[in-house]
Amino acid sequence: MIPLGAFVAVSAVLFFIGVTGVLVRRNAVVILMCVELMLNATNLALVAFSRRGGIPDERGSVFVVFVFVVAAAEVAVGLAIILALYRNRPTVDVDEVHAMKG
Amino acid sequence: MIEAAFFALLVIGMVGAGAGVVLLNRITGAALLMAFTFLCNAGMFLLLGAETIAMFQVLIYVGAITVLILYGVMFTPQRDRPYALFFQKQTPLAALFVAPIAIAVAVFSFSFRDSTAGPKGADLAPLATSVFRDFAFPFEVASVLLLAAMVGAIVLVKREDE
Repeated sequence: MIPLGAFVAVSAVLFFIGVTGVLVRRNAVVILMCVELMLNATNLALVAFSRRGGIPDERGSVFVVFVFVVAAAEVAVGLAIILALYRNRPTVDVDEVHAMKG
Repeated sequence: MIEAAFFALLVIGMVGAGAGVVLLNRITGAALLMAFTFLCNAGMFLLLGAETIAMFQVLIYVGAITVLILYGVMFTPQRDRPYALFFQKQTPLAALFVAPIAIAVAVFSFSFRDSTAGPKGADLAPLATSVFRDFAFPFEVASVLLLAAMVGAIVLVKREDE
């Protein structure tokens, strides 16, 4: 039997891989991918905690379904923003987009 | 025993492919590694006995979201860049702030000693009951969110000159 802590630890590691990617990469599409990795890590933690003590509680899985919905909406709008940005100035480099920099 | 071996394989796949997404210079490769991470996560859901969620994971993440991301890669220029310009300038600062939190959270997460449910099957009926009885209103709101996101995406990428 795999303990709950193992699943939560994997989820934490994957989440921080995603955080690192969002913070250090310059390419906007890769940043979007790393946000998806973070959402996946939270899904794993939610399902693992909903199976705590060997008794399935499906409310955790319902939240995972809602995370799916939000992730689909987020990636659609995020890609639309990246494409609109690319149309205005031909770059996907977040360092070169500093119109709102103070 | 077989469970533990399967779990170890999934962990290696997930963490390795996740690190590849962050470190790889070829963006198509990064997108495919991201799909592999999603697939390994579906395996984790199977280990936890949540096969409906695993199915949704394969359908939505491995299918839909990966295809969307690949379209994003196709529509934007991906020129090769020197590895010195690969990471942002704030990388050391980010590492300084993220590493202590990451280590603390990873150590803390091992403190959960409870067992988890193994695969028993048939989690679809309780999931459906939960969605359509306790969470019926959030479910409707989620459909409105999807509609708003679809309209927003179309408006954002629509050309003005037509």
